[in-house]
Amino acid sequence: MWYNKGVDLLTVSVTARESAGEPYTLVEITGEADVTNTDELRRLLDEEVSQQPRTLIIDLSGLRFMDSSALHALLRVNRSLDRQGGVLALVSPQAAVAKILRLTTADRLIPVFGSVAEAAAG
Amino acid sequence: MARDGNTAQREPADEGALTRQPESRPDGDGAVPAAPAPERDDSMSYTYTTDLGAIRAVVQRCAIEAGLTEARAIDLVLAVSEVAANTVKHAKSPGRLTIWYDTREIVCQIHDEGVITDPLAGRRQPSLDALGGHGLWIVNQVCDQVELQSDETGTTIRLHMNRPAATPGHDPVA
Repeated sequence: MWYNKGVDLLTVSVTARESAGEPYTLVEITGEADVTNTDELRRLLDEEVSQQPRTLIIDLSGLRFMDSSALHALLRVNRSLDRQGGVLALVSPQAAVAKILRLTTADRLIPVFGSVAEAAAG
Repeated sequence: MARDGNTAQREPADEGALTRQPESRPDGDGAVPAAPAPERDDSMSYTYTTDLGAIRAVVQRCAIEAGLTEARAIDLVLAVSEVAANTVKHAKSPGRLTIWYDTREIVCQIHDEGVITDPLAGRRQPSLDALGGHGLWIVNQVCDQVELQSDETGTTIRLHMNRPAATPGHDPVA
C-alpha cells in the first residue's frame, strides 16, 4: 500500500513494510513542512495513526525544512501512538530539521535513528 | 513573491536610538520595542502572503552572502520562517521582509498588521506537551538579538545575527 500526496512544497508517501516478521508503517516526508501545509500533513499522519500501527517510522531524509507547526504535528502523532501502545521513530533528519528537534528537545522524546533499518530493528 | 527592489529613500538610520535587547535576559522582563524601521538604500524588501518557501530561500541566500556559517544560516532561516508563519496564522494582510547587513551583523525585519499583545511572547520555553507556542521561543533562542514592537497598527520584529569577524586584510562587504 502506498500513496503520494503533494501538499504544495510537501510530499508524503506511505508504505507498509516488515522487519523480521514485524510489520511497520514507513512514512517518507519530502520537501518543506511549514504552517502552510501542516493541516494536510496532520491529516495524512492522523490517517496512519488511526490504522493503529505498532511501529510508525517517519523518514525525514528528504525533508529540507520543518517549522514549529510541523514539529507539533509530529509531537501529536507521538502522543497518540503512545496512548494506543504504538511507537514513533524518526529517521535521518537533515541539518535544519535536526536543529529544531534538538532545540525543542523533541529528539529526547521521540527516538531518532540513522536509517530505516535501524529504526525498524528498534 | 514580489520583490520591490531597493527602497528609494534613505532616512538616517538612527540605530543609536534603538533600544537593544540583551542577548539573554534571565529575568525575562520582555522584549524591548524596536524603533521604527530604518529604510536603507542597501536593504532588500519582499512582500509575502503564504509563500514561505520563497522567503526562506531569500534569507538563506543573504545569510550565506553575509558570511554566516551554514549552521547560523539555518538558524536565521528558521527564525524568519517562524515569524513569517505568524503572519500567515494571525495577520489578515501580507507581511513584509526587509534584509540588510553591515560589517557587524545581518538584520531581517518582518512587519505585518498582526498584533502581539503578550509582551513576554517567546521569552518562556513552552512545554513540549503544549503543542503550540514554540515559534517565538525558537526565534529568541537562535538569534543574537530580537527586537519586537507591536501596537494596534501592526508588529515589527527585527532579528539580528552577528557576522563572523572580518579577517585582517579582507574588506568586508558593507
